[in-house]
Amino acid sequence: MSDTKTPPVIVLKQLKKRFGIGDAEHYALDGINLTIQKGEFIAIMGPSGCGKTTLLNVLGLLDSHIEGEYELDGKSIAYLSAKRQARIRSQQIGFVFQSFNLVSRLNVIDNVALPLIYKGMTKLARQKKASTMLRSFHLGEREFYMPNQLSGGQMQRVAIARALVNDPAIILADEPTGNLDSRASHIIMQELSDLHKQGNTIIMVTHNPDLTTYASRVITMLDGQIDTDTFRLPLQSRTSTKKPLNIVKKPKASTTKKKDKK
Amino acid sequence: MKILFANHIHIARQSIASSRMRSTLTMLGITIGVASITTILALSAGASKIVVDQVDSLGGNIAVIRPGANSDNTLDGIAKIPIGQQYAASSLSDVDIASIERIEHVKAVAPLMILGGSVSGVTEGSAHTPILATTPNLEQISDIEVSDGQFLDPELNGATAVIGPQLSIDIFGTDQSIGKTIKVKGQPFTIIGILKRTNNPINYNTVDFDNAVLINLANGRELNQGASQIQQINVQSESVEYLGGVITEINKTLLKNHFNQADFTVLSGDEIAQPTSGLFTALAGVSVAIAAISLVVGGVGIMNIMLVSVAERTREIGIRKALGATNSDIISQFLIESLALSIGGGITGYIFGYILAFAISTFLTFDPVFNWEIAGTALIVSLVIGTLFGLYPAIRAAKKDPIAALRQYD
Repeated sequence: MSDTKTPPVIVLKQLKKRFGIGDAEHYALDGINLTIQKGEFIAIMGPSGCGKTTLLNVLGLLDSHIEGEYELDGKSIAYLSAKRQARIRSQQIGFVFQSFNLVSRLNVIDNVALPLIYKGMTKLARQKKASTMLRSFHLGEREFYMPNQLSGGQMQRVAIARALVNDPAIILADEPTGNLDSRASHIIMQELSDLHKQGNTIIMVTHNPDLTTYASRVITMLDGQIDTDTFRLPLQSRTSTKKPLNIVKKPKASTTKKKDKK
Repeated sequence: MKILFANHIHIARQSIASSRMRSTLTMLGITIGVASITTILALSAGASKIVVDQVDSLGGNIAVIRPGANSDNTLDGIAKIPIGQQYAASSLSDVDIASIERIEHVKAVAPLMILGGSVSGVTEGSAHTPILATTPNLEQISDIEVSDGQFLDPELNGATAVIGPQLSIDIFGTDQSIGKTIKVKGQPFTIIGILKRTNNPINYNTVDFDNAVLINLANGRELNQGASQIQQINVQSESVEYLGGVITEINKTLLKNHFNQADFTVLSGDEIAQPTSGLFTALAGVSVAIAAISLVVGGVGIMNIMLVSVAERTREIGIRKALGATNSDIISQFLIESLALSIGGGITGYIFGYILAFAISTFLTFDPVFNWEIAGTALIVSLVIGTLFGLYPAIRAAKKDPIAALRQYD
């Protein structure tokens, strides 16, 4: 990575995450080495229980009880206080969840404005920013709806708008289309793809091989380790990450956009 | 920080409004507690104020000597509830009166010997009619006014009495009863004066003059098998400046008389009001204890509801943490919500407390007092309860693991 223009956003070295103690002890993440450059769109695939979501939680600083090294923006997170971690979540990371995770008591615009509260913005500024963000997701006329008045696809777009509202460096999406039908899925993926084109770094966990077509890099995981790591689309400023592991096969989904829905 | 605070208040308002019934019921505990505290404090402050005002209006040069050691501790007031005006046995004697009279700068001394007994005129009087045996000096010291006739005078022949206007009406049917005979403990007394109506049953003499019979000290002794039973000695100094010195001197003299046993108390100024409102202190103490219990119960209610609220919103907590809320953000969010409950309850309680106090005061001869101490007490009590019982749920909320919290269903 010496020849990259910008330092990598995320560097993981021998990352391990252990659950349980004694006999029940097992590693959900068992020695992950991974370097993620700015502007990558990574799809993480793998069977259930392979550690995808755990990895995402670790990357999102929701889980900091780890072994090994995690450098975010060149700084190790090991010595960050809980408060600093919260600030990083607030300013650098945007989460998108499978189950949307909108606060049901708050209307759409308040949900989108939620991360801005913890940035210390005034109410007016929050509402303005959230409103702009919603309009860019074509949800401008839904601002004052409650989450339960929206369709799944709309809810996920609200969630993405919320993830983006504080201009995060990294967007972490945990099966963002897992609860959506295929049409809504592709709309959401289109949105993520657009974000990627605008230069955002996106790390997405998915079960659906079709969706990897949007990604620039596909990682498959197995038993807490990276199984394959495939670069799919050329990135202008990208040099290969230093482990060209076993780029054996492209996942099935590499039948490219064949399955693009009508 | 300010923005966060405003936002927390907004969230608290929303959350309380969204479960109105639950919040109201939760607040009720605090409301009842604070209302009773407010009522008690307002009324006892009112009672004390009356006596303090009286003492002040007399020029502030009055000292009062009562039997029994001084109790600085209000809790003692609860322990020994004074029953009417009957002290078991007085440690004050005629010798004491005589020695006090000899002290320099003492202008007047009036012993008060309060007897219990039946009084009858045309009709039978109340069994609780106070019979006060005293000296003419009382008129001057306590500023007693006679509306008709004259005050006590030991020089007059025969047993004479001065009675309160209400007593006169009660037993003679008229307030023009001069010259009539009143029977005190079966002994006949001729009425030589009617007191002016004071409407002041609470005063530092602990005698309701409107209903009392005043007789000469000598007659009082006769009614009491020849012994003096002095419940109080009022002392007036020549002026305010001398009062301090006089009190010191009284203490010295009486200690000598009492073989260095401090079985008496010399009171002046606001202190005089305290033993007078002793019954109130006792009642207030008991009620405050009850109020404290209801506050604790109310606090537990708040804690309970906050724990429910935290459990209900586990997922929201997870979301907020994922979106960048720090632990202290979460703590303050829930703490402010519990404070909103307790302060809401406190304010309602304060208002209800005064409504109650005014309602009760229609049966009493004094009005509740408004002062910032009571408002402050109500506020501080609610703040403390809200913090005390809100902290644990709030910390629990903040300690939730965001990953587990996000996994929970709404």
